[in-house]
Amino acid sequence: MNNPVPLKPDTHKPDSEAVSAIAAIDPLELANKRPEWSASQPVTAAQKKTILVLLCLLLLAAVLAPLKTAVLLIAFCTIFYTVSTLYKLAVIRASISPAAILSFSERQIAEQEPRQWPMYSILIPMYKEPETLNQMVNALRELDYPDDKKDVQFLLEEDDSLTLDAARAMTMPPGFRLTIIPHSFPRTKPKACNIGLHLARGKYLVIYDAEDLPEKDQLKKAVMAFEDSAEDVVCVQSRLNYYNSGHNIITRWFTAEYSAWFDLQLPGLAAIGAVIPLGGTSNHFKTKVLLDLMGWDAYNVTEDCDLGVRLARAGYRTRMLETTTWEEACCDLRFWIRQRTRWQKGYIQTWFVHMRNPYKLIKELGLVNFLHYQMLIGGGPFSVLINPFFWAMALVWFIWRPAGVATLFPGPIFATGAFCLFLGNFVFVYINLLGCCKRKKDNLMWWALLMPIYWAMMSYGGWRAFLQFFRDPFVWEKTQHGLSGKT
Amino acid sequence: MGVNRKKYRMGRMLTGGVTPALLASALLYFTLLQCRHFDPAAQAAGICRELIAGTTAGRQALFGSCWVAPLHILFYLPFSWLFSEPLAGRAAFWVAWFFVFWSVREALKSAGQNVLKTIMAQAAIAALSVCASNTELLQTGTALTVGLVLLCASSVADWTARRSLRDVVSAAAACAFLAMCGFNVLGFACISAALLPITALGHRETRQRFQAWLLLGWLPLVYTLGVWMLLNRLVLGDALFFLRSIRFLTPDSCQFLTMLVAPAIIMLPALALTWWIDSRAEAPGAGSVAATATLISMAVMLIACAKVFTWYNIAWTEAVLYSCALSLMIVAVARLRQPAYRSCLSLALIVWLSNAWFARDVAQDDSAARTKIIGEVEAYVNSATPYGRVFVLGYTGLDLLRDYDGKLLMPNLDLHIGSLRRDYKGQELYLLVPRPDGRARAESVFWKHPDIYQLGADRLLYAGTFGSWRLFQVVSAPTQEQLEEWRRMRN
Repeated sequence: MNNPVPLKPDTHKPDSEAVSAIAAIDPLELANKRPEWSASQPVTAAQKKTILVLLCLLLLAAVLAPLKTAVLLIAFCTIFYTVSTLYKLAVIRASISPAAILSFSERQIAEQEPRQWPMYSILIPMYKEPETLNQMVNALRELDYPDDKKDVQFLLEEDDSLTLDAARAMTMPPGFRLTIIPHSFPRTKPKACNIGLHLARGKYLVIYDAEDLPEKDQLKKAVMAFEDSAEDVVCVQSRLNYYNSGHNIITRWFTAEYSAWFDLQLPGLAAIGAVIPLGGTSNHFKTKVLLDLMGWDAYNVTEDCDLGVRLARAGYRTRMLETTTWEEACCDLRFWIRQRTRWQKGYIQTWFVHMRNPYKLIKELGLVNFLHYQMLIGGGPFSVLINPFFWAMALVWFIWRPAGVATLFPGPIFATGAFCLFLGNFVFVYINLLGCCKRKKDNLMWWALLMPIYWAMMSYGGWRAFLQFFRDPFVWEKTQHGLSGKT
Repeated sequence: MGVNRKKYRMGRMLTGGVTPALLASALLYFTLLQCRHFDPAAQAAGICRELIAGTTAGRQALFGSCWVAPLHILFYLPFSWLFSEPLAGRAAFWVAWFFVFWSVREALKSAGQNVLKTIMAQAAIAALSVCASNTELLQTGTALTVGLVLLCASSVADWTARRSLRDVVSAAAACAFLAMCGFNVLGFACISAALLPITALGHRETRQRFQAWLLLGWLPLVYTLGVWMLLNRLVLGDALFFLRSIRFLTPDSCQFLTMLVAPAIIMLPALALTWWIDSRAEAPGAGSVAATATLISMAVMLIACAKVFTWYNIAWTEAVLYSCALSLMIVAVARLRQPAYRSCLSLALIVWLSNAWFARDVAQDDSAARTKIIGEVEAYVNSATPYGRVFVLGYTGLDLLRDYDGKLLMPNLDLHIGSLRRDYKGQELYLLVPRPDGRARAESVFWKHPDIYQLGADRLLYAGTFGSWRLFQVVSAPTQEQLEEWRRMRN
């Protein structure tokens, strides 16, 4: 891992050439030109009507036949849980396939030399994070890629004087520049990235968060991955993990979750050719294709996930790359909840955006990928929302055994529910254990056994997201970094 | 490349789909041809019937004994729900044996064996089952156990050979499922799970990750047993209810349990070999020689386990364990890198030798006997009282009542005479007790009331013997209305 070396303030000022070009860029291009693909309108009128009709029907059914309605809802949720468990098992099974991940050995990389590497654009959106600047510059400088082929942009908000001052006081290596994002609504990371995208000079482009520490050979591996893959592979997702996993119990659980997601589930999804909800950072793109797709949706708070779906809709593919970017796990419960709220809200936004015309979605994605989409983008927040009710029912049944709960679970539903309770929950915990083991973080495996508590936290975040989606759909709850220090 | 891929896919389809389907069909055909009355799911059908009816007896039967495998019942449940007998039994039989042949493919695939050898091994296991002509061996439950033993042992062997995370996971999952296949293979499952972290001690790299293998290898098994205990606590009020019969079956239970674990010693030479090879290797993994040694040792260990059960007069588990051991031996031989003709000869020899292991028995049609016993008991009770209720005890009772549609006889898995008297106040209660022979010795009624069959128990009066069953009347005071009715009739 990179060891940051403090840079001394220098008289050199960061490159500000780009500032003049910014005025000509429309960072909201997607929302303006293709509003049907943007979350600028979170729920369309037709969707509102559909929801209203469904709610009315549900209410009517609840009044006319309350028990039958409850049984029907529980049956639906139980079937969803069962399918979800089996789906997850299938994805994990697929993750062992050789097609799951693109990997290149050191020798293979060495064999590439001497060669001309293409220009690589690196975007680093930052907001009020001056403390991470030094570490980031060092990490980027240490990337094993020709200096003259690195096109690094720090995307800084106009009113973020703290980070701006810190950046201006630093010596920036050649190829590094500052891009000042003018203050406008919405103030989101994707909006800044869109400006950066238009100013990018590279054939390929990657995004890193301010606190990221990518592995040194990541850019070379990404170039090789693009060159080795078919033309329709336009995005390569690196694996993410945390360098401060041992800080406290939240970071331990968070690492276990990330290990399972990036080391098992995403490779599994890539192996079966499913839609890939991109991770927040370290996704490498072919710049031209990204420009054609009008970049990120500035109104979507999980613009990465949305972009993953849009890539699939446009007929492109995403592959996973065997390289890791080390990030800082949020170690403070309040900030963790805020971050999780944003993620869940973003998934809900994305689901609503692409479900505006389900028929078109099926046509573009294909039926199988449409079902993947439902399980991944819709299923995630849905399970997080319904979990508390089922935990409560299970708890009440175990302790008091009231007849009322039993009547809600007739024969086959009870059997399926028992399957989900005893096998499903275990499978989900075990997957996290596997993730830790694969990541060689054995000391976290015991903590992963306590993941059900973490799921309860996720549900809290999920409900917060659900309510916020209707109240403040565009609010970007920023994650505070630098709380645990680099470990 | 394209031709190779096509050939690979064809081979996969042949060994993983076509051949298992054909062999399972052939096995079903021969079984029905040889013994028309063969019942492939003798015990499961009665329990499933109760489960579908949603009775307490069904739930108690599902989890209430370590000798009746919950996995077999759960496997049979959808068939029982979808089809009527005998179709349900036959469909379950076919699927279970398909699973066995598919497991053979999985066990050989990881060893890189070709299509011919895989089909030979699958055919050898089918031949073993046909030649042995043992009804216990051909049971659906036995097939499931054999399939899981094959998956478990081959995964442990593969883990020994190449130290892949995938093998730990599949071995751990197979161990957990095996634990639900009954007490006879529980020891094998525990030893297999124990082998996962222990074999990894040989190489410096895997030794450092001992806790990871321990956790991944043991967690599914421990969790399964934990859930089994929890369900026993919830359904039967005693977390260890399913294990209590062990004390009744074996006078010195500690010695018995020690003897059950003792066959693990057989694994020591294979373990030493694994450690030795592994410690000298650059990358973790002891290779195919250690894997074959592990597989053969596991087969021998199963035979030793069967002997322990026989010594303790729990002989009904014997056929399953021998069947598992021989199937494992077949897989071990098929994994060896040798010419096809030599493999063929070795497999034929195992099949031929296996004839000596199994006692041939011919399935009897016991439905007439069952109907006769039920009819006699009904006639007896109805002649004595119009308020009669007969509780047929244990799993044997569930089997007796599998075709019964009347209301007089009811299954009972957890006998509490006091509770019965309270719950059925005003009725004349009877208990129908099976003879404590063979499998029936493990019934919970015998560890609760050891002499019930010979001597009855408190508040029980002997009423008669019907076949191998004894009927006892529960003594209870008549209600006021009954007394008055009786007096009226007398006057």
